Amino acid sequence: MSEVISKESLHQLIGGLLAAGKRVAGPSAIRPGHVLVVPIVSPDQLALDGFIRPENSIKEFLFPRTERLYGYKFDGPQSVELVDGDAAATEWVILGARPCDAAALPILDHVFNWDTKDEFYNRRRDATTIVTLACAEHDRDCFCTSVGLGPAAEKGSDAILLPLGDGQFEVRCLTEKGKTLFAGKTRVSDKTAQISAGPAKKFEPGKIREFLEQNFEHPVWLESTLRCLGCGACAYTCPTCHCFDIVDEGNAAGGCRVKNWDSCQFAMFTQHASGHNPRACQPNRQRQRIQHKFRIYPEKFGEILCTGCGNCTRNCPVGLGVQSVLVSIEQHS
Amino acid sequence: MSETNVFEPKIIAYVCNWCTYLGADLAGTNRIEYPSNVRIVRLPCTGRIDFNLIVKGFEMGADAILVSGCHPGDCHYTAGNYHARRRWTLFRELLATLGIDLERIHFTWISAAEGKRFAQVITDITEQTRRMGPYEDYRKICEAPQC
Amino acid sequence: MLEQLRQTCRELLEEKKADVIIGYGQDTEGPGTHPVFITKPEDVAQLVWSDRCFANLTVYLTNKLILATYCRPAVIVKGCDARALVVLEKDSQVNRETMTAIGLACAGVGEPRAAKCAACDVHMPRHTDLVIGEVENAPVAPSPRYAALEEFMMKTPPERLQYWLGELSRCVKCYACRQVCPMCYCERCLADKNRPTCIDTSAHLKGNFAWQITRAFHQAARCVGCDECTRVCPAGIDLRLLNLSLARAAEANFAFRPGLDRDAAPAVGSYSLQDKENFIQ
Repeated sequence: MSEVISKESLHQLIGGLLAAGKRVAGPSAIRPGHVLVVPIVSPDQLALDGFIRPENSIKEFLFPRTERLYGYKFDGPQSVELVDGDAAATEWVILGARPCDAAALPILDHVFNWDTKDEFYNRRRDATTIVTLACAEHDRDCFCTSVGLGPAAEKGSDAILLPLGDGQFEVRCLTEKGKTLFAGKTRVSDKTAQISAGPAKKFEPGKIREFLEQNFEHPVWLESTLRCLGCGACAYTCPTCHCFDIVDEGNAAGGCRVKNWDSCQFAMFTQHASGHNPRACQPNRQRQRIQHKFRIYPEKFGEILCTGCGNCTRNCPVGLGVQSVLVSIEQHS
Repeated sequence: MSETNVFEPKIIAYVCNWCTYLGADLAGTNRIEYPSNVRIVRLPCTGRIDFNLIVKGFEMGADAILVSGCHPGDCHYTAGNYHARRRWTLFRELLATLGIDLERIHFTWISAAEGKRFAQVITDITEQTRRMGPYEDYRKICEAPQC
Repeated sequence: MLEQLRQTCRELLEEKKADVIIGYGQDTEGPGTHPVFITKPEDVAQLVWSDRCFANLTVYLTNKLILATYCRPAVIVKGCDARALVVLEKDSQVNRETMTAIGLACAGVGEPRAAKCAACDVHMPRHTDLVIGEVENAPVAPSPRYAALEEFMMKTPPERLQYWLGELSRCVKCYACRQVCPMCYCERCLADKNRPTCIDTSAHLKGNFAWQITRAFHQAARCVGCDECTRVCPAGIDLRLLNLSLARAAEANFAFRPGLDRDAAPAVGSYSLQDKENFIQ
């Protein structure tokens, strides 16, 4: 026995949310060949099949690429007036996240509530409902099964939709938010979804961690990352990357302080005011990325900072990505 | 009868030190009046005028921008205005592709002897911009809400 | 053709005329390729050539780490990439004496074919040290070159602005466009300048407009249209239109197309007393 919803009813649900003034986001084909998670204004914009996963992640809605912290006005030579940032976070319903998107959120909760509570993140997290769409297929860049997840993993989701193959979805409500969203919108059925096996395992995280602990210096770092061009495409499309930079924007009259995404692959990421850069070459920066995701974050918080979504590889101008480096590492260990 | 609110456009003029700026000075010493809507930014030469200054001008709230320098052949640094002329030709095309209103960006050659002309140009631009209204498009770009 | 390429590269390495071959290698799965750096003669078997060889490898010729590691690179280039090499040379960023440019005849890349290939007139690369392969190469009139731009310019200015407000709202400032571009070789990019900041680093509309205008204009009459920036943008922004706009302006006003003539002075950085000025009062 299960609860199911048809595509039409799902569209009606979305239409209802939009008509009630709620914000909805989901994968949409913004141009041929490009599916991105974006705010949608009509149910027809939502893309639920015909692609592996969106090129970006859902973290934008919880950890925006640019977020105003507060404003300030200069009232005279000795006086500054602070103007608070927005109090309430917009409520979002994200429809069609992938399991590898949703699973990133409990992982990120650790770092955003660690030595200090990031109220900006927490407010948005509480205000967002995540409806995940289980995966019916995968490609060579997917490796969720290597990091303890799978095509129908429920971690981080408020509800999960499993395709039944006939235009209907089995609905599993996992939290109160999910139950509230789907209350009265589903009907009982005797169909249950077949969950696909997902990609074959590409590496063993335990072995990787051991290698990382013992091989801070190793030729693999240069060999496997020489082609990296040092952009932020991997970090910015990664569901779990969360580094940020805080900058002031303004002029003589005042301005605001903003929190922006940052990438450890930028050459300036660790540039000191003295001019010294402790990670002065790209292999060192790539090494740090792998160490952070597969050794340091697990040591600190007990979770791998990666959900195996493959976005890093798909978006990388030169096809690099963590999977390729990890496979090289496994060959060496 | 109370005065209705008349829109006062903000004009930024990037001018070269040796010709147009001296031309503006001449207008001043001859007591020729021109609208105070213009904010003059003095640079050594039009060749030094970075296209980013035009973008910054709009970001700062300008409703129209004037870029002005020495006549070709009269550049104090010999060829600065020739380089500038090339750059402006290309930059206008980029702005046109982006849909930025080219009628709000003016280029002139005004020499140090043309005080009267400077005043006339500023008056014309101010009136034209007043008719066009505030440059809402760039306000839209600068004030777009964040997520 | 592939055998000839591998043989040429093997000889370059064996005879120590090159200490690294920068070429394309096959992805472990699927038809895609990625840049590879071959230093041993026996490894030339890793080199491949197909219509998925997208990368413009000349970007590595100004890469700090590559320059520090190798002194006699040999780089494999398609026609569009070879044009980038000429621009780099005119900008004094590469020394042609200490490198080898291996041109490959190219009928086009991508499935479906990339937009740039429809109007390509450098199927046979120019100004390389050698060319391997043979593809018919006919001159192309300007209009197919700028067809996409001309279609776009039929929109009214407000429609064009509306389009870019949509496109640039998706930019996340990852700078993939900058990092993949051979002509973006500045050690300290203007976008990274602070004290004071010139371009807002935030990925809001204002910061995105400032950045994309800056990058497009810094490439004026330097961009050769390899379209890598457009291919790699993770937000699917059609950066190509901006580059075409400046390329068309350079050709129409100054009869200049970058990267085709090793002796021509770059259009930006030079001037003519006869330059038109019908927009100047």
